[in-house]
Amino acid sequence: MKLKVYRYYDGIEKPRYDTFKLEPTQGMTVLGALFQFQQKFDDSIAFHYSCRGAVCGTCAMLINKVPRLACRTQVTSLLKGELKIPLSPYPALEETVEWNPEEEILVEPLPHLPVIRDLIVDMSKFFDFYKYVEPVFKPGDPTPEKARHMDPVAIPELELYTNCILCGACFGSCPVDGSDPDYLGPAALAKLYRFCIDPREANGIERLKIADIPRGWWDCEFHGNCRRVCPKDVPPLIAIAKAREQLNQEREKIGDK
Amino acid sequence: MYLDLKADDEDGVVSTSIHYHDVIIIGGGLTGLRAALQVSDSGLNGAIVSKVHPLRSHSVAAQGGMNASLGNVPGEDGTSDSWEMHAYDTVKGSDYLADQDAVERMCREATATVYELEHMGTVWSRLENGKIAQRPFGGAGFPRTCYAADRTGHNALHTLYEQVLDRNIPVYEEFFVTSLVKDSGRCIGCTAIEIMTGKIHGFISKVVLMATGGFGRIFNRSTNALINTGDGQALALDLGVPLKDMEFVQFHPTTLYGTNILMSEGARGEGGILINSRGERFMKRYAPNSMDLAPRDVVARSIEQEIREGRGYDGGYIHLDLTHLGADRIKERLPGIRQIAMDFANVDPINDPVPVQPGQHYSMGGIDVEINGGTIFPGLYAAGECACISVHGANRLGGNSLLETVVYGRLVADKIIKDIKELSEPDSQHMKSAVKAVESKIEEILGRREGASIFKVRENMAETMFQKFGIFRDGQIMEEGLKEIKKMQEKLSHLTPNNKDLAVNQTLIQFLELEGMLKIAEVVACGAIKREESRGSHTRIDYPDRDDDNYLKHTLAVLKEGSIDLSYKSVILGMFEPKERVY
Repeated sequence: MKLKVYRYYDGIEKPRYDTFKLEPTQGMTVLGALFQFQQKFDDSIAFHYSCRGAVCGTCAMLINKVPRLACRTQVTSLLKGELKIPLSPYPALEETVEWNPEEEILVEPLPHLPVIRDLIVDMSKFFDFYKYVEPVFKPGDPTPEKARHMDPVAIPELELYTNCILCGACFGSCPVDGSDPDYLGPAALAKLYRFCIDPREANGIERLKIADIPRGWWDCEFHGNCRRVCPKDVPPLIAIAKAREQLNQEREKIGDK
Repeated sequence: MYLDLKADDEDGVVSTSIHYHDVIIIGGGLTGLRAALQVSDSGLNGAIVSKVHPLRSHSVAAQGGMNASLGNVPGEDGTSDSWEMHAYDTVKGSDYLADQDAVERMCREATATVYELEHMGTVWSRLENGKIAQRPFGGAGFPRTCYAADRTGHNALHTLYEQVLDRNIPVYEEFFVTSLVKDSGRCIGCTAIEIMTGKIHGFISKVVLMATGGFGRIFNRSTNALINTGDGQALALDLGVPLKDMEFVQFHPTTLYGTNILMSEGARGEGGILINSRGERFMKRYAPNSMDLAPRDVVARSIEQEIREGRGYDGGYIHLDLTHLGADRIKERLPGIRQIAMDFANVDPINDPVPVQPGQHYSMGGIDVEINGGTIFPGLYAAGECACISVHGANRLGGNSLLETVVYGRLVADKIIKDIKELSEPDSQHMKSAVKAVESKIEEILGRREGASIFKVRENMAETMFQKFGIFRDGQIMEEGLKEIKKMQEKLSHLTPNNKDLAVNQTLIQFLELEGMLKIAEVVACGAIKREESRGSHTRIDYPDRDDDNYLKHTLAVLKEGSIDLSYKSVILGMFEPKERVY
């Protein structure tokens, strides 16, 4: 097999692709293949890594034109064509380089964020949008002496959103984030929704209003790529649809008065 | 707070950035973030310096939970839990090497710490009655481990990060610390390379708190993140701070065969069982009462013995069987490890047993600190896994490490806030020369003639450490191992990355990590060779018994003229007298 890797660094005119031949082994992940590239081919390759177990969210990149965690993606499955995910199109998915999916794995940086070097992108914008939604617990009551009680029935829905690892795969898959550089994006909106539905929050619905702006809840076009690429099955689409519904209901109420 | 200085004009080109803070916290995991909140809330100007974005810290991977004697679930006989029982289990689990004053403090603070996280918004799993859920864990007399499914570290880390962000605490992300800086016997800050630009920065502060985590990656079979390279311990050693009990390395019984990703002890807490290739529940032979929920050192040794005696599967693993728990319980309580087993071993635990083997998991030893986190140098503190305070002694109980990170992140920060009033402003002159020294060092490394691959050296080190300082140890084999490690140190001093760039040179960072790891490996080796007994995780085939007369004491290792010098200090007892450990 071959690993076809996007290369870019300060000082080169335009990005290039390097191709590295290696033997796939049982259990080898794209992250493992990138380490082989670094150790046997060119040690100047740059890519993010940490947990190698799909929990820290640092290694999201575009693999065979799908945003994925490199550490979770098995190379043999890719070569067998098993991990295809149909996505709504956007410019980064266009065939800009020739590659043969039967024997090559194409590795490119996560779209919609500036490339620093090779596969490392600057996540500042992604985290700025996350910060914009004020992702911090704002409880309704003064701090009790012990723990607050919580109905276990509320937990499964909350966990859908607390499971987000902020890897940015959704951001790199969202056609709207590609065309509107100001759109807060699926991860930030899903995070905001997590606080809205926390039963311990003071007034969850009020919190929705921070994203009640054109580049917030209303910018989503429901392509659904975010859900399809999420390594943790977080459903930003559901959060966005519910938030819109609640905001619309509230508007109607005000209108009625 | 920020000052751009030009370095000496003779070499001209490099401009040096010097930053001023009251407190520099190195590391952005649970300990670092919790300490940062405390420092910020006291009105001091603190900052975090971390080689990764805080959310990529290894704390995020903690699965099973955090121990606290909330007593939300009664014990088997209906009795209730207490901090004293928690302390007893912890001390017994430590094989009596833990300092009991530090254990007492941790266990007394545990409930408040779980509540504190709840107050900040952590979504703990809940019981039917709405209270925080608790599950049984190894070596514990009660269901004491509070959890958020099997993603407890993830939930806690995200909560603390949200709080840090809310307070606008500065975080220097992707800065690899290159040295601690000392002036007149006191620590006055650190230097760090900004990975994305290659620029060397100086951080001047009255206090430095080390919160850099463990050194698991000196072993090749490890559950740890790839970033757990013991950088903090190596920095401390270089400065002249003793490292304590470094030979005590925890091997977790259940790591996924192939990748050694952790399969939480919570899996056995929820009722999972260990089965050898003959279909036997072999733990009944080793721990007839606690069975699969004996402490980690006991279970890891038992599994390793089964495998060595031919009762494992080809390749060296046994089965962790969860199939009898049923799909609903697995999906609710253990969704994370189910996903990991499916992603990385192609096994769905609902239908099939999971192939597991023991692997390195935790560093009980670390930077020698007293009960408040202080080191021998004024201005330098350490907490969490990088420190040895010592609450885990010779073997840590599951659920106690998350607890330690948050409890001592807060308590050590409190001590810093108190002590800092007595410390004068550091002199910035030393920082300039410290930055220059790092620049010269990097220039020297990159200027070397190309040699063999540094990656090969790292691979050899990790292999040597697991084979010769693993679960079962033997004097003669360890002596060979130590010689190999020393040869690797010598070899590395001639090697260099092929990549000569300063900006985003990850091979250079790995080189610097490896330099430190080889020193840590030597400390582990020396401590293990000199400790002629078996205690907790340290199992000597040639000295199979615990020897309280000679070794009920902490090992201290310092660097003296380039070699490791060992001494010992007594264990703080008080609550519980050492007894034979039976499970």
